Order: sequence, then structure tokens, then C-alpha cells
Amino acid sequence: MKFPPLKIPATPAELIPPIRAWTGPLTEELIRRPGNFGLGQVPASVTPDATTTMVCGFCSTGCGLNIHLKDGQAVNLSADTTYPVNLGMACPKGWEALAPLSAPDRGTTPLVRRKRGGPLEPCDWESAMVLFCEELKAIKAKHGPESVAFLSTGQITTEEMAFLGCLYKFGMGFIHCDSNTRQCMATAHVAYKQSFGFDAPPFTYADFEESDVLVFVGANPCIAHPIMWQRVMRNRHNPKVLVVDPRATETAMAATDHFAIRPKSDLVLLYGLANILIASGWIDREFIAAHTTGFEEFAEFVTKFTTDRVCAETGLTAEALWSFAQTIADGKRVSFWWTMGVNQGHESTRTAQAIINLALMTGNIGRPGTGANSITGQCNAMGSRLFANITSLLGAHDVTNPADRAKIATILGIDESAIPQQPSMAYDQIVQGIADGKIKGLWVIATNSSHSWIHQSEFNAILEKLEFLVVQDLYPTTETAQRADLYLPAAGWGEKEGTLINSERRIGLIKKVRKAPGQALSDFAICQLVAHYWGCAEQFARWTSPEAVFQLLKQVSRDQPNDITGIADYHQIDESGGIQWPLSLSTLDSQPSTPPERRLFADGQFFTPDGRARFLFDEPRAMPEPLDDAYPFLLLTGRGTSSQWHTNTRTGKSDVLRKLYPAKCYVEIHPDDARRLGIAPNRPVRLASRRASITANAFVTPTVRPGQIFVPMHYAEVNQLTFPAFDPHSRQPSYKACAVNISPLT
Amino acid sequence: MSIELRTLEISDEVNLIDRLLAEQRQLTAVERFARRHEEGSVPAQARYYQDLIPLSKPAPGQQYAFAVDLDACTGCKACVSACHSLNGLEEHETWRDVGLLVGERNEAPYLQTVTTACHHCADPACLEGCPVMAYEKDADTGIVRHLDDQCIGCQYCTLKCPYGVPKYSERLGIVRKCDMCHDRLAVGEAPACVQACPHEAITIRLVDVAEVSAAATPGSEMVPGAFDSSYTKPTTIYTSRKPRPTSAHPADAHKLHLEHAHWPLLIMLILSQAAVGLFVAMTVTGLVSPDQFRVAGLPLAASAFALLNAGLFAAVFHLGRPLGAWRFFLGLRTSWMSREILAFSLMATVAAPTVGAAFLFPGSPLTLGLAALTSALGLISVFTSAMIYIDTRRAFWSPLHSFSRFLGATFLLGATAAAMIIGSADLFLPADLSAAVRSAAIVATVIRTVLFGWETSRFLLSLHDVAAPSHLSALTIRRLLPWLVPTRIALFAASTLFSLLAIFDFAQLPLAWAGIAFVTTFLSQFLERYTFFTAVRAPHMPGGIA
Repeated sequence: MKFPPLKIPATPAELIPPIRAWTGPLTEELIRRPGNFGLGQVPASVTPDATTTMVCGFCSTGCGLNIHLKDGQAVNLSADTTYPVNLGMACPKGWEALAPLSAPDRGTTPLVRRKRGGPLEPCDWESAMVLFCEELKAIKAKHGPESVAFLSTGQITTEEMAFLGCLYKFGMGFIHCDSNTRQCMATAHVAYKQSFGFDAPPFTYADFEESDVLVFVGANPCIAHPIMWQRVMRNRHNPKVLVVDPRATETAMAATDHFAIRPKSDLVLLYGLANILIASGWIDREFIAAHTTGFEEFAEFVTKFTTDRVCAETGLTAEALWSFAQTIADGKRVSFWWTMGVNQGHESTRTAQAIINLALMTGNIGRPGTGANSITGQCNAMGSRLFANITSLLGAHDVTNPADRAKIATILGIDESAIPQQPSMAYDQIVQGIADGKIKGLWVIATNSSHSWIHQSEFNAILEKLEFLVVQDLYPTTETAQRADLYLPAAGWGEKEGTLINSERRIGLIKKVRKAPGQALSDFAICQLVAHYWGCAEQFARWTSPEAVFQLLKQVSRDQPNDITGIADYHQIDESGGIQWPLSLSTLDSQPSTPPERRLFADGQFFTPDGRARFLFDEPRAMPEPLDDAYPFLLLTGRGTSSQWHTNTRTGKSDVLRKLYPAKCYVEIHPDDARRLGIAPNRPVRLASRRASITANAFVTPTVRPGQIFVPMHYAEVNQLTFPAFDPHSRQPSYKACAVNISPLT
Repeated sequence: MSIELRTLEISDEVNLIDRLLAEQRQLTAVERFARRHEEGSVPAQARYYQDLIPLSKPAPGQQYAFAVDLDACTGCKACVSACHSLNGLEEHETWRDVGLLVGERNEAPYLQTVTTACHHCADPACLEGCPVMAYEKDADTGIVRHLDDQCIGCQYCTLKCPYGVPKYSERLGIVRKCDMCHDRLAVGEAPACVQACPHEAITIRLVDVAEVSAAATPGSEMVPGAFDSSYTKPTTIYTSRKPRPTSAHPADAHKLHLEHAHWPLLIMLILSQAAVGLFVAMTVTGLVSPDQFRVAGLPLAASAFALLNAGLFAAVFHLGRPLGAWRFFLGLRTSWMSREILAFSLMATVAAPTVGAAFLFPGSPLTLGLAALTSALGLISVFTSAMIYIDTRRAFWSPLHSFSRFLGATFLLGATAAAMIIGSADLFLPADLSAAVRSAAIVATVIRTVLFGWETSRFLLSLHDVAAPSHLSALTIRRLLPWLVPTRIALFAASTLFSLLAIFDFAQLPLAWAGIAFVTTFLSQFLERYTFFTAVRAPHMPGGIA
């Protein structure tokens, strides 16, 4: 019950309340006023006194968000009208981007666990840094430089990634590190590198609007990348939209044709399509001859993928398969798009390359509306791929090449001998290293491995073997931080400056529009602290600010395919609405005004030594964990809703986003299976794999095929079930196929 | 491993930490990055939405309506959060929602997300039910606006609206809802959701109100699973160029959950109905047995009066802002809530002199007349109470269900309470009232048995017939309140047993038996009313996966 505050009336007339109260304090709460700055009306309580644009920090779409500022502090935001990526729109995560910063469980001081099993207790930065350095130095002294690893992220800025990778390898002298981009983008990275000679997604988002045929393989942009789907919807060419996905997803429903193939039969389908296209002469021989190598071998190889075989293995009809090929052949501007359905597979690199092969053989590359295009996951997965100094030497250089080492050492002003030549282990190898007792110290930055790593229960069990686990995150409450010996409180997106690189190679800026809570520090500042306490600060004397590092990275990029020497500074990025790489000084000389949307390979020149793209292929392999009578269902995992992001570390902090996704884990099951097993809608079921069993609510829906079930990846229990299989080239985990059984819980 | 913390002994490192912490707290966006179009007063987004809103204002007979292109709505839910951010709603408050339909279309799977907000109905049920006219259907635009400062927080609109639109705020003590951004539309700006939909799925159109009303024939629904449009005549237009699904149901169709118990209302209903029952019992006693009426009249009237006032007092706690409740007369023309308040006010007004007459003129025709008048007004009040719920058109609150429950409770509680009160009067007053106790207990037993049999058979029928209108309510009781049915059976058995003991005057303890019978009956009815509120299925637009 609410009673208004007692007010002494000034005049007798005020004693008489109105019959109908059209105004008053409650009405005032929702008053909207002109917001100026081109905003239209905004809530009066958050009327800005300035606005500024920065890119979103969730996914790789890289939308421009217009931050509403009051006294320099962000009070609200809206989608930026003119940003070339999102053209005035944003998904719910973008709209709610500020909410996670105000979560009550933000880390405000470093926390230390004095005894395993004990609580995390606050300590100051000085003690935390001394402890951090002493512990890792002791492990290094005792077990050598290979005994420590870090697991980082695609969620921090390029400058921070570069600092972390260089500090770790060149300053602290360690070898092994990887990032959660291994879980999402490693396949695209390797596929492009092998096929094109460089990790170079060739497209620009305008291609969504220019195609007359769009093929989506293992992608559900309607909910995973809604703003990219916006660009598809803006396509005025009445395009055919073909979707390859075992499930009838939102995107499949919106498509003109949906090919619901059997899970993990995508490689066979793609080879089968190639076979039909080649056999029918529906290919661009001129382009193939001028710009590719390996076609003849490939053409010979795919003859094995006859219509009969492909139909038998994919479950498609011959009619559907041929109509698919015919549509590609008829298209003038065909673009191919893939996401995690491809990247997270046991033969994912070859699958991605099978898509690249289709684009190459039909000449659908380098022209508007074409391309073999990987839609990236995280906001800065692309920054990680280029500048994290993890798998390749800083700036996609080759660590085995002395010239590259010399170049980097000179630019950074460090001794060339500080650059280790030994390659880093991949994520799964680091995990194995912990299990084998070889890795004793682990530093986890802005990722939640205890939730997201495949075969999670084993992962969490082996963490106990570590002598020292450091977790650096916005929240000490993540599943991983809850296991840490030392927690370092990080400032988040919106509390620091730096750049992110999106799916279409656009470098965007983030800015400081919120004060970090308590003693939280940006990952950049934490790197500065570590350098200082480790005693290698001199090596990083040039790394004074994110923008200073950006200038270093520009020099690093010189003469590389991703040359960004033509970008002046943060101001230019800000004023241009982001800038796509490459933009070299030399191209600027010849072409002073650059269009806001650019694509690669217009000249048919690829980044391989001979300038030709490669046709790469392999025999398809069976799914690593076959189904059997005990585990007869195939478990698919993937994105649940547009309001969920990965492990829900941030999206779980917004009331609005939480309202937009189911609170509890659920499993999609076909009505026929549900009926047969006696599973009633919305009732609890038990899901078991050979590794664990979990409970979930049944969502009975014909959108999954009989024999398959789907569980969104955002619920912590899901990865207890998944099977640890990895693509041999990219070492990316295959999250989307394991054998399970399902039964009703009574 | 155990960790000891220490710091370096001699250092200026603290200075570095302090410097970094100080830098971290400096906000630099404004000073470092100037804004280019600082002067912009014309909304920049207008370039995208100018074609999505009507060029002209509604003509007479027209109103604004949301139009949703289902083929373009693919579940991004940007509309929900944009509405939230651009309208300054509370952290957990949303005026839009996105649901999901699943099923089949031409033997292929069918999946459709459905964005929904207030439908700005031609015949808004919220407005009709509001006791204080806190709703206004704007004469020019047809937008159904909520007057926040007029609202008393009775939440009746949240029961009346079949789309779950008005939402109650505990913090404010009022409900709030979508106003179609009426002030944005007034200056040519699009509502927040229209501005924010990446796929232009939401537009504002002008609709002919008469056409909307004519199209809302019984049985029509906006989308599968939405409430019968003939009730409120919603104006939102859902369109699709694709064939209609052959089967489709909301993703949350099978979700079971308990609705709010509305404790103050629950207590008010039970106590007021017991009071009315007692006045009826008093009247019947007066008609049947003037002798006993002379003695028992005052205790019955006084108890009834006390129960009535306790109930009405409890009801006040249901209001978020009770000080505005004096405006209840504004809704008399359409609102059963207003009528209920009026009926109970009249009843209470007559109940006081009835007690006075029973005290001053026991057994007089005046007392009997006043008791009869109070009973009549009381029965009318119970009728209005039932109509409040019936008027929401919820299946579980059907006229048959609501009247049988409310009148059943009135007579049952009246009879059992009367048996107890007369029994206690029997102890203290110089008269033999045992015959009256016995009669009341007999009446109570008959009513209880009939009511219980009727309720049980209805419950079992609904539970086992999946097509029954109240099937999901019965399922809710079975699954989410598994203790309820056994408890009520036990209470029924106990109250019947003790009523019989009273009837047969076992061990000559009529007051004890009648007292226990009353308490167990009261508890049983209390649980019945708890079920009435919590097991009801509140109609709403299709929701998401539960």
C-alpha cells in the first residue's frame, strides 16, 4: 500500500482533489521530453547533455550504439542511426548493454582464497600483484616456462589482447596460451588461412543486401545475429534464401528453402553440390583457371559424391539436392554464410573449405553480394585472430620467420630473443596439460571455461590439480571465478577505451562512459600492473595507453594483408563509423576517400604466395560418438534466444534480458519421440550421455527431427553432456553432436 | 596450498596502483570525442520510420492501431528492450513481449514469433473494469491511456485484460501499461518499438473502429492461442502472406503455474460471505422460530457485523493507493468492482442499525425487517463479488463455478457459524437453544455435502477431460498443489463428523462440536478460495518457451 506524502495545502481549492487526476508525481515518472542530439523524445529522467557513439561489446556484428551521457556518465543508450553496420537498429543485448555494468555482484576488489575450500576474501591490488607474480614465478622456476597457461577471450579490446599476449610471452617468458575464440572462430581462421593464404573474411555487410541467392549453413542469424538478418531483410532483389540446418530454426522459417539435413552430413552435402555443379558445367572455368589451384583434384574427388550417396547420407531428396544446386547455378550473386553449425564440428575446417570451394568454383567471390563468408561470434574474435599473439606472432606474423620476428622486435623495442619460437598449445591441449600435471598455473581472462568448455565435469575436476588459478573478470561469481585462488576485478565494456574488430573486418571504438566500480581496473591497466610487478615494465614502456598501443599495432600491420597504417587514430575511427581493414597508407595515396563498405578479392588476387586460392578437401569422417541402443538420441546444442550470450555471465544480469529467455534448461524433442517415451510437454526429463546426466524441461516441438534433441548452450549443465571431439586442423571442439538418451522424470 | 599475503617492502608501486585506479575513474568520452550532430532536434531515426507511421491523424471513426507483419517478426525481441529503454521503465518492467507459436503447416514444422503489446482495444476491458476511471480511450487517437495518478492499485484491470497487458508495480502501488508512445505520435515520431524493429515488422496504421468491431466476431482470435476477440475487440492487426498453420499453439500452452493468491481479496471474500450467511441465518431464525430469534439475534448480528467489517478492512490492503478509493462511484456504469464497493457499503450501512435493533428491540419485527434487508443487500453484494470474477471471462471463473462457490460459501459458512454462535449463546444465555444449534448443523451438513460432491465431480471431470475448459486449472491443482485435494477431503470428513456429533448432541458438548465443525469448514473454504485465485488460467498472448 502506498500513501502519498502529507502535503499542507496552500489554498482551500487544493483541499478538493480532482475527480480525475491527469497529472501528478506518478504520471511524471514516465514523462518523455525531446532528447535533442537527434534522439527524438527520451525519458525525461535520463535526458542527455551529450551523446557519443561506440560499438557494442557482445557479438561480432559490431553495432554502433549511441550512448546518452549526463555529466559524462552513460545514462541510457539507443541504436546509432548512421553507423554503417546497424543503421539505427540493435538487438536486445545491445539495448541492455549498460545493465550488466551495474550488477550488484560486480567485483570491486581483488579476492584471494587463502585455503582451498575456503572463501574468497578481499585484498588490495598490491598484495594481489605480489602474490600473482610470486606464485607464477615459483611455478616457472620449478616446472619451467611450459608449466603455466592463460585462457583468454574474444571479449576484450584488441589493445588489451595484444598487451596480454606480448606481456605473457615476451615479458613473463611463458609459452602456452589460448583464447575462447578457439571455441567459436578457430575453424574459420584456419580455413581462410589455408584457402586464401590469410585469415581474411572477404565480405562486407552490404553483401547481404546485394545477393540474389543467400546460402546459410549452420547459422541462425535471426536470433544469433539479428542485425545481420536486418541487412538480409533490406535486400531488394527478392533473393532466394537457402538454409541448411537440422532444425527448423527461426531463420529456416524465414528462408525460401530449408534443407533439414542429418546432423554432421553437411560436408557430404557440400561435396555433393560441388559434384552436381561441376558435372553440369555450372561453374566459372575462367575464374577457376585464373585464380585457383587444386580444382582438378577436387573435381575428381567429388565424383564419389553421387546423388544417391548424398541423398542417403543427408536425408534429402534428389529433387531437393538438385534444386539446391540449380539455385546456386542460377544465381548471379550468390553468397555463402556459415556460423557455429559449421565451425563447431569434428571436420569443421574441411566443411568451411567445402563452402569456400563452392564460392570459388562458381566465381562467387570478390563481387558485390558474393563470398564464402564466416559470421564471427564474439565482438572481438577478429581482433584476437589478428593481434592476440597466441597462435601466430603479433599481427598474424609467422613466428618461424626471422624477418617477422625482427620486425616485431624492432617495432616493440624488445630483444628478438624474447620472442619464443615454440608454438603454443591449443585450448584442449592446455586442458590435457592440466590433467597430465604438466600445467600447474592457469590465468583465465574474461571467459567462463567452467561453464563453456566441452566435457565440463572433467574440466572442473582437473582444475583441482592446478597449483594456482587466477581469474580476471567483471564478476567473481562466474562458475570459473568461484574456483579461483586469486580473483582480479576487471573493468568492462563502457568503462575503458580500445578497439574491437567485427565480422566484416571493421575496427570500431569503445569508450569510457561509466566509472568502474570500486577498484576494478581495465584489463589493460591490469597488464600494466603485472608488467610492473613482474619486473618487465621497461619492455612495455611504449604501452602507455590503449591508443599508444593502437599506434604500435598499426606499425605491426604494415605490409600485411590487414595493413591499417592508413588509419590515423581513434578520432578517425570514431568519425568514420568504424574503418574496415585493410586501409594502408599506400592505398590512401591512390584512393583518398574510402567507401564505408569494402570487400576483398575484387581483383581475384589472394594472399597465398602465388596469389591463387586453394581447393582443399578430405574424406568425410563419421561422427566421433556414434549413437547406439543405450544412447539413441543425437544431442544438438546452440543459441537459445537473442537475449542470451554464451554463459549468460552478462546477459543474466539484466532483468529485461532474463525475462526474454527461459529461466531453466529445456530440451526440444519431437512430438513422436515424446509420445513414444511418455514425455509430456513442459514436464521434467532426464538427459544422459556417457559422461553425465542432467534434468531439463521438455519442450515438445516438431521443429526438431525425430531422433534428435536440442538444448541451448547457455545453461551450465549442458556441457556436462557434450563429447570432447576436435577438428584436427583448427582444434575447435565439436559441441553439436553427441549421443544421449532421454527419459521422463516422474 | 595455503596463501599468505604480503606487500613489497620498499616501493613506489602503490603510486602506480593509485594512478591506474584514478585513471580508471576518469570519464573521457565527452572530452576526447566530440559529437558531430549536437544540434539535431529532428530525430535522426525518422529516415527509417517515416513510412511506418500514418501521415495523417485519425479521422472521426478511426483510431491508431499496431500492425505486425508476422513474416518479418523473427524473434530478435529488440522491440521489448527498446520500449523499455526509450520509455524509462523500471528494471524489470516491460510493456512489450515476444511469444512463440509452434505447430505444423502443410505437414512441415511451423515456428512463429509474435510481438505483442497493448492492443488498444475498441472495447477495452481494462477501462470497463476500472472502478475509478483510471483508463481513458482517447477520443482522437483511440489510444487506451492509463492515468497513473488516478489509479488506486486495485489491479482489477490486470484480471480484466485477456492479454495480460496492465502490470502492477509494487514500488508504485499502481499498474502501468503501453501508451503507444502517444506523445511521440503527436509530434510525428514513431513509438519506440516501431523505431527499433530491425525488420520493420511493427507499424502504426489507421483503422476504422466500426470495422474492427464488426470483424471481432465470437470465436475470432488475433493469433492462435489469443483470447476471443469479441470480448474487447483488439485493434492490433497481425498479417502474413504465408499459408495459415494447420496446427499451432503457444509455446507456453502447457506451462502450469500458480497465479497470485491476492490474500486481502481472499480474506475479504471469505469473511464477507460468512457475514452475509450469518445475516441470512439470523433472518431465517426470525422467520422460523421467533423465540430463539429473540435470544440469538444479537450474537448473530454482532458476529456478522464484526466479520463484515473485518473483511472490508482486509480489502483495503489490496489497494496500492487506498486514499483514492473514494472515487469508486466513477466506475458504477461499467465496473462490477464499483458495484461491489457500493453494495457492501450499503450493506454495512444497514448492518449497523440491525445490530442496534437486535440489542434494543430483540425479537421485534423491526429487527427482523432490518436483518432481512441486510441479508438481501448482502446477497446482492455476494452476487457483485462473483460478477467481478465472472466478468473477466476466465474459464475457471465461469458463472456456474463462481456462483456455486460464492453462494455455497455464504450459506455453508453462515450455517456452520450460526451453529457455533448459537451454541455459545446457549451456554451463557438463559434459554435452551439446542434445537437451533441442531437445525443449523443439519442445514450446514446438507449444504456441505452437496457442495463437496458438486465440487469434487467438477474437479474430476475437468482433470480427466483434456477438452474441458478448466482442464489446465484442474491439472494445476493436481500438479502444483498436490496436498490440496487430500487436505480438503480430510477437512470435509472432519467437519461432517463434528456436525453430526453436534446434531446428535454427543456427550452434550454442542458448542465444542459446532466450533470444531466451523473451524474445519472455514479452513476448507479458505483453501477453496486460495485455489480459486491461484489455479485460474489467466489468458494472455502466446508466451515463450516456459
